[in-house]
Amino acid sequence: MAEEKSTRVAFVQALESLMEKDDRVVMVSADSVAVFRAQALQKKYPNRIVECGIAEGSAVMIAAGLAAAGFKPYVCAYAGFLTMRACEQMRTFVAYPHLDIKFFGANAGMCSGEREGVTHQFFEDIGIMRAIPGFTVLAPSDADDTIRMVHKAYETPGPVYCRIGSGRDPVVGTEAVLRAYGDDALIIGCGAPLAEACKAADELRGQGANITVLNCNVLKPLDEAFLMPYIRRAGKVITAEDHNVCAGLGGAVCEIAGRAVRRIGLMDRYPESGTADELKHKYRIDAGEMIKAVTEK
Amino acid sequence: MMNDTELARMGNRIRRDIIEMIYRAKDGHPAPSLSAADIVACLYFGVMNVDPARPDWEDRDRFILSKGHACPALYAALGLKGYFDRSLYPTLRHLDSILQGHPDMKKTPGVDMTSGSLGNGLAAATGMAIGAKMLGKSWKTYVLTGDGELGEGINWEAAQTAAKYKLDNLTLIVDNNGMQSGGSVEEVGGVVNIPGKFAAFGFEVFEVNGHDTSEIMAALTAPVSGRPKCIVAHTVKGKGVSFMEHNNAWHKGVPNDEQYTTACTELEALING
Repeated sequence: MAEEKSTRVAFVQALESLMEKDDRVVMVSADSVAVFRAQALQKKYPNRIVECGIAEGSAVMIAAGLAAAGFKPYVCAYAGFLTMRACEQMRTFVAYPHLDIKFFGANAGMCSGEREGVTHQFFEDIGIMRAIPGFTVLAPSDADDTIRMVHKAYETPGPVYCRIGSGRDPVVGTEAVLRAYGDDALIIGCGAPLAEACKAADELRGQGANITVLNCNVLKPLDEAFLMPYIRRAGKVITAEDHNVCAGLGGAVCEIAGRAVRRIGLMDRYPESGTADELKHKYRIDAGEMIKAVTEK
Repeated sequence: MMNDTELARMGNRIRRDIIEMIYRAKDGHPAPSLSAADIVACLYFGVMNVDPARPDWEDRDRFILSKGHACPALYAALGLKGYFDRSLYPTLRHLDSILQGHPDMKKTPGVDMTSGSLGNGLAAATGMAIGAKMLGKSWKTYVLTGDGELGEGINWEAAQTAAKYKLDNLTLIVDNNGMQSGGSVEEVGGVVNIPGKFAAFGFEVFEVNGHDTSEIMAALTAPVSGRPKCIVAHTVKGKGVSFMEHNNAWHKGVPNDEQYTTACTELEALING
């Protein structure tokens, strides 16, 4: 197995450093202290974690009230319960008045939900949040990238949504260009599937296809100035994400690319219970599918 | 601060401004604004520590109009208090106006929270009150909800959190006029026994005649300790304008010239009486 490091633990480390330097930073939890491995943080700052219980809509509104009172709330919940159940609160009471609130959605992606099944497999969050004006949408590649994204969220004024993983997240690397073997094909990915994309690039190298892999950890706004030269010169453009190909990274890249894009991700269907490894193969968010996409005529 | 009689007069001045605003702008919700007028008068002219010259003053008391469609009542209170010029009333709901169709905290001086999507105000107020406690500040948070919007589950999610955090700096007032857009609150939404529900959720509950400023003020100023306060204000939808009272056709609507004249005559008699 590839090396793993928890994006949740990384998030809490980064949040702790923000809490140390800025006493306006607070965590708003929808029964997510344990989920986010924040028990030690809660012991250290018992009065700066607002626990709202299993009540995402209310948690977002409480964060809105805290932000209106001058705090910088970090709302923590499962990605889907947050972005689907509290979607309207995030849109109308946070994005519309442009409040300075950061949202971290755990367990994002089919492979994070694993054996829990569809109820806990969240593959719509990027699309939902991208559709809301005013949100910055982030998807770090791995744990170390999560730390960078927590700080980026802090430095970005206004509402930010960041998806993170299950806690057993592959180490991918934090660079924008993860592989630069050539222009036969380009894979633009986000999150854990980038590990598969790197694997595909390594396997293909010297076997007739030299490809480039980009870590697209900012899904909105897309860095068009950075992406477009790669998109223009690549033989093929492929996207890879653990999210519905509709409205996710694949959809976002199609909006700017102006050319055919082969989208790898969940093909607008519901998955099922299984291990992350089984799921990514059955639903073809794996290196094999990426190799096929690069080499198929 | 005003005495109870002056507050009652202010309630009717707010009503007069509500009618003026909706008649001039040709859009808005008169009846749900009129039922809230005395409550809003008691808040802005009776208990709230605010400064119209400094709408963002950190230590001000906060108010959230959860039933945001009643914003003509809030805008009238803010206009009469001096937050902005009352000559802006006719721009209500018009392009480029600071007076949006539902309250907008970034556009209107004195509006502390965006609202209008029903059921969300109590939760936002809970966050503000938690914030005040965390800051060690003594400012208070007031939130006015309708009765129909208590059908929304977030109210009860927030009620639990407010009680858990012992928010004795939070006051919820329910404008219990008994009607929602589609008819009777009891028949349409099944929202019954509001005082009993909030008592069960751990609030200190008061019941008042929502058009009696002395009763409203007594409840607003009653000391509570260790738990949030809920004032269930029994009100009449359309209060103060004879043909709008108890008439849900005026949930939303614009008086014609004749109705406008009648409403103004009735309200001016109350103001001057």
